[in-house]
Amino acid sequence: MQRILTVSLMAILAVPGMAWAQAAAAGGTDFTKAFAVLAAGLGFGLAAGLCGIGQGRAAGSAAEAIARQPGAVARIQTAMLLGLAFIESLTLFVFVIAVILLFVKS
Amino acid sequence: MEIIEHPPILHIAAIPDHILYTWIVMAILVMVSLVAGRRLSLVPTGSQNFMEMVLEQFVKELDDTIGHEGRRYLPLIATLGLFILASNLMGLVPGLVAPTANLNTTAACALIVFVTYHIIGVRKQGFIPYMKHFAGPVPLALKPLMFVIEIISHCARPLSLSLRLFGNMMAGHILFAIFFFMMGFDGVLGWALSGSLGGIVVGAPSAVVMFVFVVGFLLPLKILVAFIQTFIFCKLAMLYIAAAVEEVEHH
Repeated sequence: MQRILTVSLMAILAVPGMAWAQAAAAGGTDFTKAFAVLAAGLGFGLAAGLCGIGQGRAAGSAAEAIARQPGAVARIQTAMLLGLAFIESLTLFVFVIAVILLFVKS
Repeated sequence: MEIIEHPPILHIAAIPDHILYTWIVMAILVMVSLVAGRRLSLVPTGSQNFMEMVLEQFVKELDDTIGHEGRRYLPLIATLGLFILASNLMGLVPGLVAPTANLNTTAACALIVFVTYHIIGVRKQGFIPYMKHFAGPVPLALKPLMFVIEIISHCARPLSLSLRLFGNMMAGHILFAIFFFMMGFDGVLGWALSGSLGGIVVGAPSAVVMFVFVVGFLLPLKILVAFIQTFIFCKLAMLYIAAAVEEVEHH
């Protein structure tokens, strides 16, 4: 079992290298660019999804709190907005990194 | 980006766009302030009324966050807030540039806040007590560790403050650019106008749907984001100042 795993892992690791060698032989596709696009898309998708979970929890709790105590709407809203901003800023870091990956020529 | 993004309406080759539009925002704000403050009266009318209404909001937030002493920092916070709000809203007009969609502008604002709240803290408490504060209420053995961690977290503040505003504005900018590109003469509208059957059957309705989506959903969302980001920036600046000021009363 373990041997099969090892062999398949090695095969997976070897595939990009082989593809790269082929592309290089065929006259060159820019693989750095391709992986940068892939990383930007996957990374930002992941960040946006997890940020959605986090913000959803925060907003849901705020809605519950408002339902329980309608008098404290202003304070709860302020706290919620601040929390949402902090959660969102992590996603925006990923966004900035994605933009750098996509548009900055290296 | 260069493919889908048109250059802004006003463009001078020697001056970067965000600086040019920062000057425009400054000119607008100065003009509004001059008009509002030209004939000050105890019973405000017109533009003075409007500006007072806006500033009242800042005063209310300052009182809530920092306390009674908060009004001293009104010039700083309100100037930053008005500048950021005007910049954000200017980015919504197609063909104009939001100065805050450039990291240099937001980093400048964040650094102003960073330097200012440290200066305020040092002036309030003196240098040594203020530095002691970074060590926090922990046993002596842990204080060096705590100090380093606190320093790093303080240095992360301007980073997150500037990147949050920049990221939001930039994301909206790219979103709008992509949608206008898809909607416009290079996209479905051009397809519909080209006269082919597919363009008329598919292109024209999707152009209409996209336009309704942008005007009915994205634009209100962006306006909301412009206000919320201004609020967040000012609120965080106030919280940092409050944290630097308030420790006096504890010790």
